[in-house]
Amino acid sequence: MNNIIESGFHPVDTLEKPGANRAWTVKEKLLLGLSPSDYMAQLLRNPFNWLLAIIYAVGIPVLVGRFYNGLGWATHGSYEYPWGLFLGWGLFVMVPLSASGFMMGTTVELFGRKDFKPLERLGLLNGLLGYFFAVIFLQVDLGQPWRLVYPMFVSLGPAAVLFLVAWHVATYLSVQIAELVPAASEFMGWVKPKKMVKSMVLGLTIAGIILSTLHQGALGALFTYAPGKLHPLWYSAAFQWFHFFCSSIFGGLSMLLVVSTLAKKFLAWRCDDTFLDSLDKITIGIAKGCSLALITYLVIKVTALAHDNEWAYLLTGWGQWYLFEMIVGVVLPMILFAMAVRGNNASLARVAAFLAVFGIAINRLNCALVAFNWQLYQEVPHWREFAIAVMVYATYIVVYRGVLYRLPILYGWKED
Amino acid sequence: MKNMNRRKFITNGVAAGGLAVAAATSRPTEAKAAAGTFGGYPDSMGVLVDMTKCIGCRTCEAACNEEQGLPAPDKPFDDMSVYDEERHGGLPRRTTAKAYTVVNKYEVAGRDHPLFRKFQCNHCQEPACLTSCFVNAYSKTPEGAVVYDPTVCVGCRTCMVACPFYVPAYSYESAINPVVKKCIMCYDTRLKFGRPPACVEACPNGVMTFGKRKDLLAQAHKTIENNPEKYVKHVYGEHEVGGTSWLYLSDVPFEEVGFDTHLGNAPIISYVKDFLAMVPMVLTIWPALFAGFHLLSTRKAAADNDKS
Amino acid sequence: MGFKKGKILGLATLMALALPLSPPQALAEGQLNDIHGNLYEAVEFDHDMHIELLQEDCSKCHHHVAGVATSQRGCASCHRQAVEVPDPSCKSCHSLEPFSAAELGRTEGIPFINHRVKPGLKAAYHQGCLGCHQEMGGPVGCQDCHAMTENGEKFYHTGAHAPAPGKTDKHH
Repeated sequence: MNNIIESGFHPVDTLEKPGANRAWTVKEKLLLGLSPSDYMAQLLRNPFNWLLAIIYAVGIPVLVGRFYNGLGWATHGSYEYPWGLFLGWGLFVMVPLSASGFMMGTTVELFGRKDFKPLERLGLLNGLLGYFFAVIFLQVDLGQPWRLVYPMFVSLGPAAVLFLVAWHVATYLSVQIAELVPAASEFMGWVKPKKMVKSMVLGLTIAGIILSTLHQGALGALFTYAPGKLHPLWYSAAFQWFHFFCSSIFGGLSMLLVVSTLAKKFLAWRCDDTFLDSLDKITIGIAKGCSLALITYLVIKVTALAHDNEWAYLLTGWGQWYLFEMIVGVVLPMILFAMAVRGNNASLARVAAFLAVFGIAINRLNCALVAFNWQLYQEVPHWREFAIAVMVYATYIVVYRGVLYRLPILYGWKED
Repeated sequence: MKNMNRRKFITNGVAAGGLAVAAATSRPTEAKAAAGTFGGYPDSMGVLVDMTKCIGCRTCEAACNEEQGLPAPDKPFDDMSVYDEERHGGLPRRTTAKAYTVVNKYEVAGRDHPLFRKFQCNHCQEPACLTSCFVNAYSKTPEGAVVYDPTVCVGCRTCMVACPFYVPAYSYESAINPVVKKCIMCYDTRLKFGRPPACVEACPNGVMTFGKRKDLLAQAHKTIENNPEKYVKHVYGEHEVGGTSWLYLSDVPFEEVGFDTHLGNAPIISYVKDFLAMVPMVLTIWPALFAGFHLLSTRKAAADNDKS
Repeated sequence: MGFKKGKILGLATLMALALPLSPPQALAEGQLNDIHGNLYEAVEFDHDMHIELLQEDCSKCHHHVAGVATSQRGCASCHRQAVEVPDPSCKSCHSLEPFSAAELGRTEGIPFINHRVKPGLKAAYHQGCLGCHQEMGGPVGCQDCHAMTENGEKFYHTGAHAPAPGKTDKHH
């Protein structure tokens, strides 16, 4: 795409086709204003797409096999380890990293910080796609995915934490779709939907905060069902839900910084000046929020250790692993974010963001897979689980990229 | 917010609250005995397992297989080589999708014959599986059995995470109808009609006694009292995780023969209750709190608006 | 189900065995029929041999009801005098169906736990016999006392009904 842009091509960013006296057709908009052959050519030239081709070549047959042969064929799911990579990565890691939706919505719409607006839509999109694909991962993992709506309409078990997660994710997806309707409306040329959503935006935002607080916390609370199974350093009866909620704050924001960094590097042709010029300043602003959330998280983690008197565990092998996660994934990014804010250094903030995302990922994977059943043998996911997980995540990236290419997320739609 | 006026704000706030409340059928259903625990139905039945009497003949396994219509086992039920089988990580045999109960053998120092332990669902008084199921697939019947409805199971497998005894098995090999598999205390075919489970009746050596849980506890304690040098002075299941319907007596310390003695007496739900209590708090406080933040943050803009 | 059929069969046979009072040595033919649900053949029980082996100490099997005082702690505390009862047979005290509603109802409210909590007939036989046999080198294997029937082979999935070897349950 960079080559095409350099040769003077301007991708679609208005309703009217310049110099043609008519609106773009949907097909033309989807092809970014390129001819189909030009579009295919740039697709095939992109080395990332070759990697994707390999991932799909391996992943699609394995995914089909998972449904045809059952979970036993595709996973190492056992009676001791019922959950594997699909939930460990797809649900537990992806959901906190998708918290950017409610964070940016709250910042811009509720707190009125319009200076963050250029990055708001990217935050909302990150949130929507993350949750949507978390549901896809869930469908891959469920034994009977066609019964997904059972907890909502067929047989309700309201006392269960997962019930809350199910309802909230469903409702929150609707909220996030609604929050992205303005961007879609601009692209498609709809007028009424955008107006309707704009009138509800505060309500949607508050709903988003409520839902996010509870379901981010609920994912943590799931582990309170298994007090003896999760290693004490990662488990806290009193604070588990808060660990997960608080870490989702900097998780979502850090993921947003990671994505905006990747956008700036690989999709610069799609970003407009408003986005690019304000990105560093917004990054520093977000870094402030992240470092505050990180120190809160650190304090609560230490409090949890004190609360259950778990200091002795720090001296064990597990303790070393825990300290690694805390130092590399929490303390280091916290310091780097603070330094970045002080020195007005957006690049340093981005490094910190990558580290924070890494920290969230290993924390959730520890809770779900590694430090789970710490007194039993260690389970390693089946290679087919990896194949499917990589493929679904690659699809998430593909959809993400597809939306960023087209909808006015990284750029402003030029109203006539 | 330029075009936000008070009327619009209240409407949106109510909408937000309504939306949140609509999503909030996630409030926990409070137990009738509000503050405390459930403690089980008063006349529920139970089974007392005296492990000192078990000879490891596996007749109970065979009886369960027949009663529940389970598939044929991998090895005959009178094949004692199963006791030498080891799974992943040195773990002993356990219940599976086609074996709702298994017997395990433990060589104990100083005991001239091995101890045999029958393992199956303990039918807890406040089951963790029931607590964790979001489609309400589990029920605790008044007779004491914890039964399961496979027609609503979505296969999320949270119950397997929740059970402190690692009891529920799952039929992973099925593509069309994988469901949880566990002992149901022969509820459908026997317990409902007041009859003991098949394993209890089949046991040749009277290892298991069937009766009202409270009577069995009295019997268990009397047995210990009558033979103080023989039995460990503890009835496993009396209090563990809120109490179970299957109770155990042993002459060897329980932790040496595969029992988890660190479970504590609190039912699993008590660990989750703290978070569940958060839910209504957030649902009621957050709307007002964040609406307040919004008003605070935008007061300057609102003031400018009023002035102009 | 196999059990129901076996109970009727066992009960019928035991009823047939109900003999009028006679001195211990003359217990007829000594067949203790199976109450498994015909999983096993009848037991060939030599009562005379046991009387001789135990030197006429009836209390070793019959507790305190055959006229000999017992040393079992649970009984002796009350039954220091051992009175011979009209029917000292095992089945007269140990129920065929110890957990039936009727039996549980009957035992409810009995203050003496040793009377309330009695093993059923099948358990009484096994507990009674196996303990001594283990100590004194008697038969301890299941089929040492009673051979398995065809039904038994089906029940235990053994013999002619054994599963094909080499098939293992892959999932743990």
